[in-house]
Amino acid sequence: MVTPETCLTCGDVAVEAVVVAVSGDTALVETGSSRERVGVELVAPVTPGDVLLCHAGIAIEKATE
Amino acid sequence: MKFVDEYRDGELGRKLAREIASLVDSGGTTRIMEVCGGHTHAIARHGLENLLPSEVEYLHGPGCPVCVIPMGRVDDAISLAERPEVVFTTFGDMLRVPGGKGTLLEAKARGADVRMVYSPLDALAIAQSEPDREVVFFAIGFETTAPATAVTLLRARAAGIANFSAFCNHVTIVPPLCAILDTPDTRIDAFIAPGHVSTVIGTEPYRFIPAEYGKQVVVTAFEPLDILEATAMVLRQRAEGRCEVENQYTRVVRPEGNPRAIAVIDETMELRETFEWRGLGSLAWSALRLRPDFAAWDAEERFELPRIEIADPKACQCGEVLVGAIKPWECKVFGTACTPERPLGTCMVSAEGACAAYSAYGRHAA
Repeated sequence: MVTPETCLTCGDVAVEAVVVAVSGDTALVETGSSRERVGVELVAPVTPGDVLLCHAGIAIEKATE
Repeated sequence: MKFVDEYRDGELGRKLAREIASLVDSGGTTRIMEVCGGHTHAIARHGLENLLPSEVEYLHGPGCPVCVIPMGRVDDAISLAERPEVVFTTFGDMLRVPGGKGTLLEAKARGADVRMVYSPLDALAIAQSEPDREVVFFAIGFETTAPATAVTLLRARAAGIANFSAFCNHVTIVPPLCAILDTPDTRIDAFIAPGHVSTVIGTEPYRFIPAEYGKQVVVTAFEPLDILEATAMVLRQRAEGRCEVENQYTRVVRPEGNPRAIAVIDETMELRETFEWRGLGSLAWSALRLRPDFAAWDAEERFELPRIEIADPKACQCGEVLVGAIKPWECKVFGTACTPERPLGTCMVSAEGACAAYSAYGRHAA
């Protein structure tokens, strides 16, 4: 079934999420509705509180205010 | 909810709509194409067209990566999935895309080990936990998604994981824009460019559009206020006689993009001479394959594939929808032979496809 939400998996869809903790190339992030682990090698270094744009399990950019 | 409410404020939206109305070109309709499924979906979901004056029209381009995958590649994926040693991992929307031999979901029902993942890193984790199986990841998407595949390949190589491979179908955004711009009698006046692709590639690759084709480009994000603001920016450029690339999504997109993301794509992948796009035909240098250095993780090198090209169904007008020649509801099979439950064309399959978005929100009555 097509869901009423945007495609979460494959499209040009990314979510902004806040870093909670960092361990090596992986960060635990808070998306607002869940916590996920994402790869951060493309935006390192990151620290808790950073806002990351995450897509398909990878952070692709840091957001600025 | 943080990050969302501030971009969905109704009063701000109406204020932007009033500004757009004040900027319209009285000489005729301004047709703005968005080339991102996320934009298409947001426009349909939030009813943005109802806020716009009749002189502004959105056209929905080929921005959904699911929608542009040709049926033959889906059959290749099914062929991989049906191998007894393979765990075939895929993003959810590809499960229902029909190839000539049905869908991956149907292959799963027949017994193929097809698993949905949210990230190629999840597929890599399966490979690590099930070392006796061959885990293949169906890599699709524009430059937004290619870095995730690239990072996964680099991690697979670094960790020496030999039972993981990618079936690479990544595509690039500029060639289809050129194809659309070179379509005779194109109706497009300006573009809203994809925010997340641009996060990776930056804004520079779009410079040729104002320079060579004389059409405005505004890179934008995905919330309703973002899209309305980008629409106002397009109209402001036209009202002021400007034609350039502007960036509405400055909180994330930098002119140079993310050089590290570009570097990992370049390290692991190279351009294909040609690639078949559903609705657009063969486009030169428009898609990526794995570099020879990564042949050990390349499903196309490691497994025999049917590689049969299949023509789109004749009744399907996805190609005309994808270049903005017709609106989704103007397709002769929209809502009849082609529905979200039984899609004929790929624009109806993915939630980001233009036809599925219009179908989901009942916005077919122009």
